[in-house]
Amino acid sequence: MDHATLVFASIFPVPSLSHTTPTPVATPNLGHSEPGTSFDSPYAADAGGTHRRTLRRNAAWSTATRFLSLPKDLAKGPSRIQRPPDVDEALDYLVVGEGAGRDGEEGIADWYANEARLHFANHVRQGLAEAWDEVIDVSNAWHVLEDTQRVLAQVQDLYLQPFYDHVLPFVERAAANITIRTSKSNDSLEAETVEAAKRKFRRDIHAVFAHSLPIARFSKTLSYMLYDAACKLFRLQVRLDGVAHAIPEHIDTQKVRRRMMLLLVGLNRVGLGQDEAQRALAYAMDKLLDTYISSHYLKVDWYSKQSVTAQLHVWIEDGFIPLAELVLECLQCKPAAIPPLQRKQWQEMALTRLGRARVVDLFDFVTNWDRSLGAVLDLKVSDAAQQPYNLIHLLQDYLRLDGAKEHLKGSFSQQVSRRLLHPGATTTYILNVYIYIIRTFNKLEPKGVMLQSVARPIRKYLKEREDTARIIISSLLIDLNDETSVKVASTGELSFDIACEMAKPFTQAEDADDEASWNDMNWQPPPYDASPEYKKSKVEDVIFFLLTLWDRDDFINELKNILGDHLLKCQDPEFRKEIRLLELIKIRLGEDKLQACEVMLRDVLESRRINQTIRKANDQPQDHPPQTPEVLGPRTPRPRRTDPTTPLVKLPPGPALNAQILSSFFWPILRDETFRVPAQIESLQQDYESRFERIKGMRKLCWMNALGDSRITLEFDDRAEDFDHLTPWQVSVVYAFQPQPGEEEEEEEEEEEEATGKGRGKAKSEGITRSAEQLEEMLDMDEALVQQALAFWVGKSVLREVVPRTYAVIERLDSSTKDSDAAAAAQEIAQVQAAQSTTVKSQTDLLNERKDVYMSFITGMLTNQGNMPVVRVLMMMRMMVQGGFPFGAEEVRALLGEMEEAEKVVPLGGDVWGIRK
Amino acid sequence: MALSTGARTNGSGGATVAQRLQKELMDIMMKPTPGITAFPNDENMTRWTATIDGPESTPYENLVFKLSMEFGATYPYAPPTVLFKTPIYHPNVDFSGRICLDILKDKWSAVYNIGTVLLSLQSLLGEPNNSSPLNGQAAELWDKDMDEFKRLVLARHKTPEELDADGL
Repeated sequence: MDHATLVFASIFPVPSLSHTTPTPVATPNLGHSEPGTSFDSPYAADAGGTHRRTLRRNAAWSTATRFLSLPKDLAKGPSRIQRPPDVDEALDYLVVGEGAGRDGEEGIADWYANEARLHFANHVRQGLAEAWDEVIDVSNAWHVLEDTQRVLAQVQDLYLQPFYDHVLPFVERAAANITIRTSKSNDSLEAETVEAAKRKFRRDIHAVFAHSLPIARFSKTLSYMLYDAACKLFRLQVRLDGVAHAIPEHIDTQKVRRRMMLLLVGLNRVGLGQDEAQRALAYAMDKLLDTYISSHYLKVDWYSKQSVTAQLHVWIEDGFIPLAELVLECLQCKPAAIPPLQRKQWQEMALTRLGRARVVDLFDFVTNWDRSLGAVLDLKVSDAAQQPYNLIHLLQDYLRLDGAKEHLKGSFSQQVSRRLLHPGATTTYILNVYIYIIRTFNKLEPKGVMLQSVARPIRKYLKEREDTARIIISSLLIDLNDETSVKVASTGELSFDIACEMAKPFTQAEDADDEASWNDMNWQPPPYDASPEYKKSKVEDVIFFLLTLWDRDDFINELKNILGDHLLKCQDPEFRKEIRLLELIKIRLGEDKLQACEVMLRDVLESRRINQTIRKANDQPQDHPPQTPEVLGPRTPRPRRTDPTTPLVKLPPGPALNAQILSSFFWPILRDETFRVPAQIESLQQDYESRFERIKGMRKLCWMNALGDSRITLEFDDRAEDFDHLTPWQVSVVYAFQPQPGEEEEEEEEEEEEATGKGRGKAKSEGITRSAEQLEEMLDMDEALVQQALAFWVGKSVLREVVPRTYAVIERLDSSTKDSDAAAAAQEIAQVQAAQSTTVKSQTDLLNERKDVYMSFITGMLTNQGNMPVVRVLMMMRMMVQGGFPFGAEEVRALLGEMEEAEKVVPLGGDVWGIRK
Repeated sequence: MALSTGARTNGSGGATVAQRLQKELMDIMMKPTPGITAFPNDENMTRWTATIDGPESTPYENLVFKLSMEFGATYPYAPPTVLFKTPIYHPNVDFSGRICLDILKDKWSAVYNIGTVLLSLQSLLGEPNNSSPLNGQAAELWDKDMDEFKRLVLARHKTPEELDADGL
């Protein structure tokens, strides 16, 4: 009854709205003339019967309604008064007798329903509306619902009682009459009529109740209540707005369950258990499922590394579904039992949600491999046989569900590109994560189809990084048993994981190509979702994935460079690791391509032998401790030596020299700075050279002084210090502070140094100072090298800068802070510089060194072929230069720019260059 | 560790010619000779363009000559075909640029290479072989009237730019 109706009724009373004294006696109804007939007298003959009936009916109506009208005061409760006879008669007349409603006339049942409605609107609704108008605090939901239910139940009783007591008997009687009349004495029909009347009345009232509540809010509150109940029943921790509500330890779940059931049954009784309630239930169950999945029950199992899907399965089967059934039962829904198909769907839904929840964090799981094994197993239950009892047939892998793989791939790729493939991630980190990804996905899907598609962007990205190959190969060479190198690895420069992989025993791949093997009874077609280039790797071998990142040739080139560097620095005389690495790579990449590397390895091994031979021949005059081999080439030698500073006492053992003999043709281009080595060393070199030529016949040695590795002992007035792993130029520089023979102040050159110089007995006085320029001249050394070496020695507190760019030996270490400060600063510089110097040449070095050749290429090209754009120059260079032109357009432009300064070429605009005439 | 490139000349002729030519190119670039340059026209390396400067104190002083060189599949066992692209007035060169030089004919030997050929041609400019001229008039004038010879040389000569313009 809306407001408008009420307003209308207050002025023009509608019969159904009022039950006050009827009017007919006072103002007789005079009837009216039918349309089309002439006016008659008010007392026309045929009007008499109707009139009388109307009068009587009105009287009866008045009596009945007065009796049935509801009390204003709710508290009174339903009246249980016995019907007085006149009421009885009136009702009988109205329901059973001829006063029963004809067409258009209102029946007493309808009136009563209206009465109830009106009553509700006037007296009850207000209170309810007040309760629901306020914001319902979640903690209050239970109370609000319970109060509402109580009020409604009370009101319902109030309305139903009179209806049952006073109206229904007559309806029944009327129905009985009809049945008699239709001679179908059928009890059921009679009961049906009564039932229908009952139902109608109930429905009317329930509609009023339902409409009196804000439906949306009611539904929400109810669903919260259900959710809350479920959480309490399952002891889930509820989080609302990020606030954790600790669940009290002692919840009596039985009590909660009873309370919930009572409430639900009650709500259902007052007609609130229908569609809205079921919707609320659905909503609550949905949320419950999410909550459960994120709850502590399904936390990733970090300790025992087991999958939790079985647990989820059991919960759905034994917790979730029974709860849903219970609620449905309370709401008196027809099929209270969940059909098997529905159960399966719920299982899948739960699994999907769990899967998605895991996928969202998959990247974190990957980086925490393999502690995160449990989470990964949640996505894929690897071994069904491990699952408890009879669930096996129901258990599904998440990955087998529709769309799961695509979702996982898509989501993970996104995570990878957002969190991994950006400039902030170091290459080592990316490599490590890539390894984890390989391991994880191997677990997830042993066939490797997903790994392939997930890894593609990573591989592409890694290829673009310059240092990838270097890090991989250097990491392969880490010695896990060696503490220092492990320490290096842990600082993040190298990947410790690669080293671990390398240390694993290598399982030989069986003859790989099984496509052609007709006798393979275990052959299986590739997975249906595999891409065309899919190739199943038989061995789950991380190294394999890393080595196949590049084209073979590129990789081998890089390998050559790194291996060269490594071999020269290597301290292990047996080169065990290097041999193993090479063998390993040979298996993977084929033997033919690795010839150069093999030669390199053989060179260093052979050098040891030659050293021994030569030393044996040498041993008569001198004895020295066995040395680790030194680099020397048929063209590429390097000295390894001890610069002796053994106490002057006994005959000081002269410096020893070991060489490594490298076949320059196979080695990468090595760093070659020329400078003078100390004279002793030089003579040793000559000696060695002549012996070598004797052994090896025609071969010539060409010393590469920059590549050496030296050990010396320095003696000062107050101390002696050993230095190991020095570069030759460092030694040369410090040696230059040795007083030169025949020099007092002036330095002559270090010609016949032999005898005296034997290991710089001591720098005789503090008097010897040398300036950087002098050193450059003395040693024929590059300024940069001199500077570096000086910085190194200052850093070691051996030299001191007395005047800018002039240095002297610190013979006595006093605790002057000045020296140590300078030393600290210089040490830093020296470290930086040392980091930059590698034995193999960098690209920039290469460009500088071959600049002349490149320039004459460009000159020849432009002279003979006319003007050209840079792009074409670059193309020609790439085609024509033997050994390749590993540079880009930028370098070509730089070269052209330089040539322009030399007035050899002129820019003609539009990136086109020509010869200057 | 043999430096075996070029040693095996049997089989696949094209590849070895290209290899040999590439090596020659590299040699030329590593040790450029002043006044002489040469460069392949495209990546298949068998056609080259060379440029030589006229030797000093000859009628060809300060002039620049372009030549085309073409190498057959049997190079270096057969001589390359060399033509002057720049019109030149010279006793041993005819008006189409063909050259009469013994080492490009019967005196050819596999030890010659692009650099030596070009060097020979450069010296041919200063010392023509007048005993077997392709251009009789020029041979005659060389001996009798050097001024007239110089005039004709300059009249006939075209700079590379003019050549390019004609080519268009």
